[in-house]
Amino acid sequence: MHFTRLHLSKLSISLAVAAATAFALTTAHVARAYHTHFIALNCNTNNPQPTSSFTRDGSTSVALRAQYEGYQWAGGCWNDNNVDDSPGDPTEDPNTGGEGPDCSGFTFKVWRESTTESDAGGYQWNMLRTIHGPYTAARFRNGDGAPNTTYPKSGLIRMDALASANHIGLIYAPNANGTDQIIEAKGEAYGTNIWTRTYRGDSNYSGVRRVGWSG
Amino acid sequence: MSLWMSTETGDRNNRRRRERRIRSVVAMVAAITVGVVTAVLVAGWTVATGARTGLLDLQDGSLQVTNLPPLLRTADDRLDELRYDVTCAAPETLPDLACDIAGTVFVRSGTTGSFQAIPLAVDPKSEVDRYVASLPADVASRPAFSYYAVVHDNRTGETVTLPAGGAAAPQTSLLLTRPVTVSLGKHGFGTVDHAAARVASALWGDGPGRAGLEDGPQLEPIGASSFDVDATGTVRVLDEAHHQMLRFGAGHPNAPTALPLEVRGTIADLRANLDGGVDVLESVGAPGDTPVLHRFDASGRTTGSWHTAEKTATALRVGPGGPLVLEYPSGEWMPVGATQTADSRTASASQLENASPGQRLADGRQIVAQREGSEARIALVDARGVTASWRIRSATPLAEIQLAEPFGSGVVVVLRTYSDTQDEFIALVLGTHGIERRLSIAPDDWAEAAPLARFRVVSSSLYHLGSTPTGMFVDRYDLEVR
Repeated sequence: MHFTRLHLSKLSISLAVAAATAFALTTAHVARAYHTHFIALNCNTNNPQPTSSFTRDGSTSVALRAQYEGYQWAGGCWNDNNVDDSPGDPTEDPNTGGEGPDCSGFTFKVWRESTTESDAGGYQWNMLRTIHGPYTAARFRNGDGAPNTTYPKSGLIRMDALASANHIGLIYAPNANGTDQIIEAKGEAYGTNIWTRTYRGDSNYSGVRRVGWSG
Repeated sequence: MSLWMSTETGDRNNRRRRERRIRSVVAMVAAITVGVVTAVLVAGWTVATGARTGLLDLQDGSLQVTNLPPLLRTADDRLDELRYDVTCAAPETLPDLACDIAGTVFVRSGTTGSFQAIPLAVDPKSEVDRYVASLPADVASRPAFSYYAVVHDNRTGETVTLPAGGAAAPQTSLLLTRPVTVSLGKHGFGTVDHAAARVASALWGDGPGRAGLEDGPQLEPIGASSFDVDATGTVRVLDEAHHQMLRFGAGHPNAPTALPLEVRGTIADLRANLDGGVDVLESVGAPGDTPVLHRFDASGRTTGSWHTAEKTATALRVGPGGPLVLEYPSGEWMPVGATQTADSRTASASQLENASPGQRLADGRQIVAQREGSEARIALVDARGVTASWRIRSATPLAEIQLAEPFGSGVVVVLRTYSDTQDEFIALVLGTHGIERRLSIAPDDWAEAAPLARFRVVSSSLYHLGSTPTGMFVDRYDLEVR
C-alpha cells in the first residue's frame, strides 16, 4: 500500500514535471515567435553628442538611415541594413524589444533633441542608442518642450512635422499634386519609410516645427 | 672675482635654463601644431576618401534627390531656375556634413530634340541643401520644355537620374496661355452639400458585413482604404484589414458580400476592371521590395503581380493600356503590368521609360494637375500641346488635388481646402466658361485611406469614400449641371 502510494506520488510528480516542461516549451516557442531580442543584442545606452548646429539636411540624413527598418511601439533603436529585423511583433506590446522607432521616438531622434524638456539644444543620438524621448505624438502636436513649437501647416517645409493625437510624420518632400512625401514610423505592418500622405490638409493633424535649425 | 665668477656662472646657468625652457615650449608648440595639422589633414582625407575605402559608415543608396516640377506655368510665374533638394552620403556622426555633389540638368525647348546641359549650383538662399539650375530665358518662355537631372555624389560615386527614365521620359513643363480662371474666394467651412444617396455602408468590426480597422496602438485608425464603382453601380470596397473586398450590389447599400483577396493588410488603392476583377496597388512591399500591383479575377484569384519601378507608389488609375501608377521620386505616371515579362529589371525599365508627367487617358490625351500655393492648375493635353486649361484660385489654402478627370467638354476636379483646424473637399465641374457646378463635401475621414482614393467619377456621378467612428460609407453626388 505504502509502495503504491509512493509510486503514485512519483508518477504525479513526473506528470507535473512533464506538464511544466511542455508548458515552458510552448511558452518559450510563443515568446520566440516575436522576441528577436534586437534591443538586447544590438542596442546601447551611449550618451548623445551635443551639437551646436543642426541642419534640416542633416536631420534628413538621420531620418533616411531608418528607412526600410522596423517599427517598435515605444522603441528607438535601429540599424541601417534596410530590413525589419523584428517583423510581426504583437502591436499591443511595447516590450517586445524589437527594432525600430515609433513615430514620436523617430521624430525625437531625427530632430536631435534632449531628454530634458527645457533644453532646446541639439543632441546627436547614435541610431543604435535605445531612446524614445519624452514626447508622445500628442505632445509634439501641442508644441510641448523647449525644442518644439506649433506652426501653420501651409508654411511647413522639409523636416517640419504633421502631428495628430496618435501619430506624427516628418515632411520629406512636397508633391506637385499637393500631397506630401512623409517619412514616418507608421506601424508594425509598415515599418519606417517614405509614403505619400495627405496629412497637411487633414484637420486631425497640426503643424509642428523644431526650433533652432542652423540651416 | 669669485663673486663675479659666481655671478657669471649663475647668469649663464639661468640663461641656459631659460633657453632650455624656451626650447621646450617651442618644441611643445611645434608638436601640438604638427599634431593638429596632421589631425585636420587625416580627418579631411578620411571624409574625402572614406566612402570609397569603407572607412566611413555611409548608408547604402544614400543619395536621394527630389524636385517639385513646374508642370503647369503661367506667364506671371517668372520661372528662372529648376530646384533640387539633395540628401547625400554622410557619416553617422557627421550628418550635417555638406554634400559634395556634381550635377547637370538636361533641358530642351519642346518635347523632342536634343537637350542642353546646365550645371547645378548650390542655392545660397535655401534653408535645406538645395541646388538650382539657371533656366535660359528662351527655354522658360516656350509653350513647353522638358528636362531631367543627373546628380553624382563625389564621395560615394553614386549617381541618381531624376526622373529615373532620363531622356526617355523627362519632366515636362507646359505654359498655360489662355487658362479659364476661376476664383473660389474664402471658403466658408461647415456649409456642406448633402449626398444624393448612400450607396454603401458597413460598421467597423469583425463580423459578417463589417469592415475592419488595422491594428496598432500608435496608429491613427486605418480601414477601408480604397474603393471603386462600376458602370452597373456596384461598389467594391477594399477591406484590407480583413484581407478581403466588400461588394455592394446596386440598391443594396447595407448587404455586402465578402471576397477574400491575398493582400498584405496595409493601405492599398483599388480599381475595378471590366471583367469583374480588380487591381490592387499595395503601398507597402515585401521586405526589400518596392510596392506591388496585384490583379485579381472576379473570383478573387490572383492572376498577376508586378512590382513598381520606384519606392513610393501613390495612386492607381486606369490608362489606355492598363493600370497607371503615380510613382516617386520621379513623380510620374507609370504603366505597370504592361510588360508581361518575368524579368523584373526589364519590367522596371519599361515603366521608367514609358512614364509621363500627366495621367494618360483612354482617348490618347493626358490630364495634368498641379497645386501651386493656394491655386490649382489643370490642363488637358494632346500631341499638339495644351488644348484646355483652368486656374482655380482660392483665398483659403488648398491641399491635395484628390481627383481631376475629363467630364463632358471640361473637367471635374476635387480639391481639399484647409485651415489649421478645419478641412473640407470642394468638387468642381469646370467648363469653357468657368465653374458649372460646385459642391462642398464634409471630409469624413476618421479612418485613413489611400491618399488619392477618396473619390471616383462614374458616368455623371461623383462617389465619395468616407468614414466615422462607427463605420465606413460611400456616398453618391450628382454632377449634372442644373
